[in-house]
This record gives sequence, structure tokens and C-alpha cells, in this order.
Amino acid sequence: MRTLDGVGSTPRSGVGTARWYRPEADLTLPDRPAPESVDVDTELARYESARDAVREALREARDRTAERVGEEEAAVFEAHEGFLDDPTIIEDVEAAIRDGTPAPHAVADRFGEAVAQFEGMEGRMAERADDLRDVRDRLLRALLGADGGEGGQAVTDLAALPDGTVLLAERLTPSDTATLDPDAVAGIATIEGGRTSHAAIIARSLAIPAVVGVGAELDSVADGETVLVDGEAGKVVVDPDEDLRAAAREAGPEAIRDRVETIDGRSVEVATNVGGEAELAPAAERGADGIGLFRTEFLFVDREAPPTEDEQYEAVTAALSAFSDDRVVVRTLDVGGDKPVPYLDLPDEPNPFLGRRGIRLSLDEHADLFETQLRALLRAAATEDGDGLAVMFPLVTRVEEVERAVARVEAVADDLTSEGVDHAVPELGAMVETPAAAFLADALAERLDFLSVGTNDLAQYVMAADRGNDAVADYHDPLHPAVLRALDRTTAAVEGTDAWVGMCGEMAGDPALTELLVGLGFDELSMSAVTVPDVKRRVREVDADAARSLAADALACETRSEVLDVLGLDDRAA
Amino acid sequence: MERTVTVEPEAGLHARPASKLVQTANRFDADVSIGRADDGDDGLVRADSMLSVSGLNVEHGESVRVVAEGSDAEAALDAVCDLLTSPVEEGAEGEAAGESDTDGGGPDAEDA
Repeated sequence: MRTLDGVGSTPRSGVGTARWYRPEADLTLPDRPAPESVDVDTELARYESARDAVREALREARDRTAERVGEEEAAVFEAHEGFLDDPTIIEDVEAAIRDGTPAPHAVADRFGEAVAQFEGMEGRMAERADDLRDVRDRLLRALLGADGGEGGQAVTDLAALPDGTVLLAERLTPSDTATLDPDAVAGIATIEGGRTSHAAIIARSLAIPAVVGVGAELDSVADGETVLVDGEAGKVVVDPDEDLRAAAREAGPEAIRDRVETIDGRSVEVATNVGGEAELAPAAERGADGIGLFRTEFLFVDREAPPTEDEQYEAVTAALSAFSDDRVVVRTLDVGGDKPVPYLDLPDEPNPFLGRRGIRLSLDEHADLFETQLRALLRAAATEDGDGLAVMFPLVTRVEEVERAVARVEAVADDLTSEGVDHAVPELGAMVETPAAAFLADALAERLDFLSVGTNDLAQYVMAADRGNDAVADYHDPLHPAVLRALDRTTAAVEGTDAWVGMCGEMAGDPALTELLVGLGFDELSMSAVTVPDVKRRVREVDADAARSLAADALACETRSEVLDVLGLDDRAA
Repeated sequence: MERTVTVEPEAGLHARPASKLVQTANRFDADVSIGRADDGDDGLVRADSMLSVSGLNVEHGESVRVVAEGSDAEAALDAVCDLLTSPVEEGAEGEAAGESDTDGGGPDAEDA
């Protein structure tokens, strides 16, 4: 038994059989045959069927990523399809085949030229080289795999790994990761990569235990060895003993259906974030106590016009009936100039994260969309399961915004009354994503039923660090004392009032932080469904008094590393 | 027929705007080509080729010339120019890590 250290990504453990994924090694081309021995028609057909197979795989990866991760992350697969079916590439490859080059060599040659065209350039142009390599490798895998391994080596088909595989790789691309079957893959360990890399995020959303950034030592693990991936501790254990294996099995994804409370009886709601209807059933199966963030943006993307009132009503009632005994918090439309929703006519701004977005648009430019959305929500609130509905407004910074939003709700209620349409006014709340909202939390809570903290944005705005910019990734961490103090300011403002306070964000789903968050006073934590069972388990181990003193110690810290010390956490990739 | 327009998408003709342009050019029964306005006929490349369009490396704010021929030339020109003159956002560049969940983003990534 030996242990390798890495960075835990998906906080869950799995045991299985190691299998290396080495896409480059898999793609060794056979020797080039003499041109006259090449059967041109066969090679042309081979090229075409490889393109068909890759196109299908790209579309699946696109849809899967769009559903599980987001439309923006899925867009890369459309660009890949563009390169796959590029008419200039197809013409050249087919011409080379007619001259007696086998399909794999013709593809490798032509894509090699295309990669060379972009390689060594900066920024976006260099990314195109990566895209081209990705498409080339997919094509070669399809071509060589179809060849029955005659010339190329056996090819790893990521979509069809045997059950109980622990996949080892230097790194995984987002498309590799999105292809994995979560039921077959017991874990992932990579040499490179960080906790916040795209592939790591996708692995978390697929509930696959993952440890990234293990380093070159991972090379010492051989195919076929039994490996435990402990995504919570960030360890890879080779040839684990029976106790560890049993513990890993025990820590499996068993759902806790009941609501949970701390040892000393403080109840904490463990809810889930949902970004599409397909996520409702899996979230319920994992034992979520309701929905803490229902993103409505999925209703608006990939279409030519906004959804109708009835479509929105249907979507919200579907969520309410999936969680009929629970609360469902719906966030009103949260878009800005960084979102690909063409018909919304979003402003072209130099800095969209500091521009017209969220509630700012809903109160003015998008007042009509806001009204339609509120009508759908108030009608849904009057349905059988509607008393669990809550509605929250994104990117609040001013008290007047809350007052205007509440007035809009009241006006819509009046309209519905005069139209004789059944409706009810749901609980209303604001997201705390900005320093302004944290400072004004007391004034907001006075006017609303609840507040919910969005930690990714709060960290971005408190730390002045773009959450999409890797160059400032070490600033963008909710464990910086400044962010913790903003959280404390928010929860302290709500304490003793009738309002409740929750958190929807990656931070909420990290079981290593559950005690801290309970100590800070959060009533509700909402997260990716995958981490719901782990956080519920953790809540049951927490003593609320001890948690409060832990939180006080963390709040007294002046640096992130002091916070990590207090929490007993290793320095993780920020 | 042809038209000269200024490229509005913040990402220029890269990533998502580029693939949308190629998809659009492919949708019509017309031969569409595109190039920098200053580069003359020699600078025109096929708008239905992702490789050619990406290779132009056109940035936001540059002026480009679009030429279309064939039975659907006018419709193709309208659609392509419409795309080039609608601001699409930077956030749509899918690959960069962790970004952009604000929106419809990752189930896990918090939010907001």
C-alpha cells in the first residue's frame, strides 16, 4: 500500500482498477504503405465514417455539457465540429487519399499543417491549435479504432470503460471528462490540473471522485493495480488495505432522505442548485431538502425569443412538484453583457461584470421580461405545491432596487387579481453577491423574507478578481478573511430577525467547510446535487457551539493561510 | 453582391462568433467569402471554413468585407452581416477555466 498526494476535487471516494489514458500513445500511426497499395475508395469511406462518428460524439458531448455544466462551456464543441467539417480540410484530405495516402496519415498531415498555422501564436489563436489537436486526435482514434488495432494500438474508448475503472491521465480535457460514464468510472486521478480547472468542475458535476495535480509520481501506478481515489483528502492510495476499501465503499453516494440537524439540534437545510429540468429527479434522489437556487437562464438560452409566461409557469411548477414538501428558490433572470442570448439585446460593455446585469436589467431595460416572469411565478405560487415557492433577485446593491422589485411584485399581483387569475405572493429574497449587499444586509433583511449568498460572485467582487481569469485565481477564494467577514456581516444582520439566510455556491457544497458555515449562522446551504449526501452527513457531526467558536477564530484571521490553519486544511489549489 | 461592416462581437471572429459565422454561411445556397476590408480581393477567404475564418484573426472593431454569390446571396449576406454586427459576449469563449457560471453555468458552480 502506498499513498500519493494530490488535490481533492470531487469530495468523494472510489476504489477500482487503474487504467491509463494516454491519448498520444494510443495514436501511433502504422508505417506508411506504398501509394499503389492503398485502396482509395476504402480509405475515402473510412474517412467519412470516422467523421460521422466524431460528429456524433461531439454533439453528445455538447448536449451533455450544456445540460450538466452550461451553454457557454458547451460552445467549444461547436467550434470543434466546425473544424471537423471544414470544407477546405475535407478537400485536402480527400485529395491526399486519392494520391495514395491512407486516411489516418492524410488526416494527421493536414491537421498537422493547420496546427502549425496557429501554434506559437498568442491567446485565442493558440487555443485554436488546441482545438485542432483535439479534433485530430478524435478523428485518429475513430480511424485507428475502426481498424481493429491492426496498425495502431488498442484505443481507449472513454465512453465505454469497464465498470470500476479508475482513470489515470496526465490531464483530461473538458471533452474527455464530459464523455465519461459516471456509473462505470470509480475515480479519476491526473498528473496535472487544479481544483478549479474545467475538467475538475465537470467531474464534480458528474459525481466522479477525483484527485488532480498528483504530479509525476502518478506514473508509478501501473494498469491493473487496485487504486483508491480519495477526493476529500486529496489522496490516491495504491493497493489499499481492506479497511480503506471498506471505508471508501461506505462513504459512497448513499442519500440521506431526512432533514438533518447538528449534534445539539440546530437544523440546517441542505438544498441543491438546479439549472435545468433534467436535474430535478437526480437531485431529489440524492436527498436534497429542496432547491436553494433554481436558475431560470436555461429557459432563455438557445432560442430565438424569450419563453412565454406559460412555459415559465410549467417549468416552475415542475420544480415545485419534484420537491412538493420543500422550498424551491427561483432566481429571476440573471444575465448581463457576458451572456450569449442574442435576442435580449444585451449591451456591449467593456466590463460586463460591473455593468448592466441582474436586477438592474429587470427593473429597467427588461421590465417586460421581468413582468412576464413574475406573472408566471405568482401563478405557480397558487398551485397545490406552490406554498414552497420563494423568489430571489440577483445582483442587488441598493435598497431602492429591493423596494422597486417588491413594488413590481405587488403590481403584478394586482393585475392578476383584476384579471381574475389565481395567484399568491411567494417569499421574496435577495442574493448577496456584492460588498454593497453585504454591508446593507440589515436593511435588505428588513424588507425581505430571506437572503442568499452567491459566494463565487461575492469573492470576485470583494477581492477584485475576475472569476474567469486564471492569472488571479489565488485571489478568487472564499476563504480569504475579507470574504469571510462579508459572510459574517450578512449572517449577523439576519440573526434575530424573521428572515432566514442561505448560501448557494461552490463553497456551500464543500464538506470541509460545513462546520465553518454552520458556525457563521447559515440556515440553508445549497449546492450541486452530488455533494448533498456528503454535506448532510457532515452536518450531523457538527456541534453548533464548537462551530461558532471555530467561525470566530476564522474571522479573527488576517490571511488566508491563517484561515486554512484554523480549519485544519492543507493548502489546496486556490 | 457585397457589404462592408464593423465586427461587433467582443471576441472578434474567434471561438463562438467564428463557429456561428461558419454555421450561418453553410446554411445558404451561396458562396460567401470574407476578408479584412483593407486587404482587397486577395484577402478574401471562404466563410464556410472554420480554419479560414479563424485564420483571419479578426478582432472586435475591425472592418470586414463580405461577398456573396449564388441564388441565396442576399439572404446569406443579411444573415452573416447581422451576426457580425450583433455584440456577442466575451464570456461565450467556453474554454477558460471556471468562469462564467453566473449564468446558466455549472450545476456545481455556484452561482451567481
